[in-house]
Amino acid sequence: MKYEHEMILCIVNNGFSGEVMDAARACGASGGTVLHARGTASPEAETFFKITIQPEKELVMILVPSEIKDDVLHALYQKVGLQTPGQGIAFALPVDGVVGLPSKAREENSKA
Amino acid sequence: MQEKKHTTAPLRPAKVVRATRQQPLSGAANKHKTAPKRLKLLITVVERSKAELYMDLLQAYEVNMQITATASGTATSDILHLMGIEESEKRVIFSLIREDRAAAALAMLEEKFKTIKKGKGIAMTVPLTGVIGVSIYRFLSNSR
Repeated sequence: MKYEHEMILCIVNNGFSGEVMDAARACGASGGTVLHARGTASPEAETFFKITIQPEKELVMILVPSEIKDDVLHALYQKVGLQTPGQGIAFALPVDGVVGLPSKAREENSKA
Repeated sequence: MQEKKHTTAPLRPAKVVRATRQQPLSGAANKHKTAPKRLKLLITVVERSKAELYMDLLQAYEVNMQITATASGTATSDILHLMGIEESEKRVIFSLIREDRAAAALAMLEEKFKTIKKGKGIAMTVPLTGVIGVSIYRFLSNSR
């Protein structure tokens, strides 16, 4: 099923939400919402993948048109991916109904 | 020393509520004759001071469970950025709503976003693909 919009969720270390938004905006995203969160990971997984999980996290929700979803995900992987200090993971969820988008963003979506 | 006997009954495996629009559930669950209604996660982002108001409004749409979290918006405004107040205080409301009520709830929210002073926000629905536990499903979908 094809959806008009997708919601990108990006979980990054505390203080990296600005970088997430910069990367997303460069691909055409308009805005986002940042939630504070606490991450957990199994110690075995941490040793196996040689990463340390900083418990303080930020969860960034970005609503984007489906056309730019892949671009945004790629940008997030490059700029705030697991290999960067942001240690971010990002994924997209289908959104089947949206209200409250700014009219400018809606016009751009209808043009696309 | 004697070993203590287990007196509790073994745990029953939980039921997974799963159905498609075309194929109704079979067996005991078939007494309703129609497939259970799907659920959606309604995500509403509003100003912090207006969160309670929107939660009350959503309860009229048979929403039995809502979770909120404080958040901050990242609106793009050069003037706000220069003043150092680029981030605005928000609250995110996660509500579980039945599929057939979601459209009406979104329409109501759209209207309220336009009419309520400082009540602008954004709302979206994400379809759920599974729920565990019949009683939990009945609670979430308000199926009495």
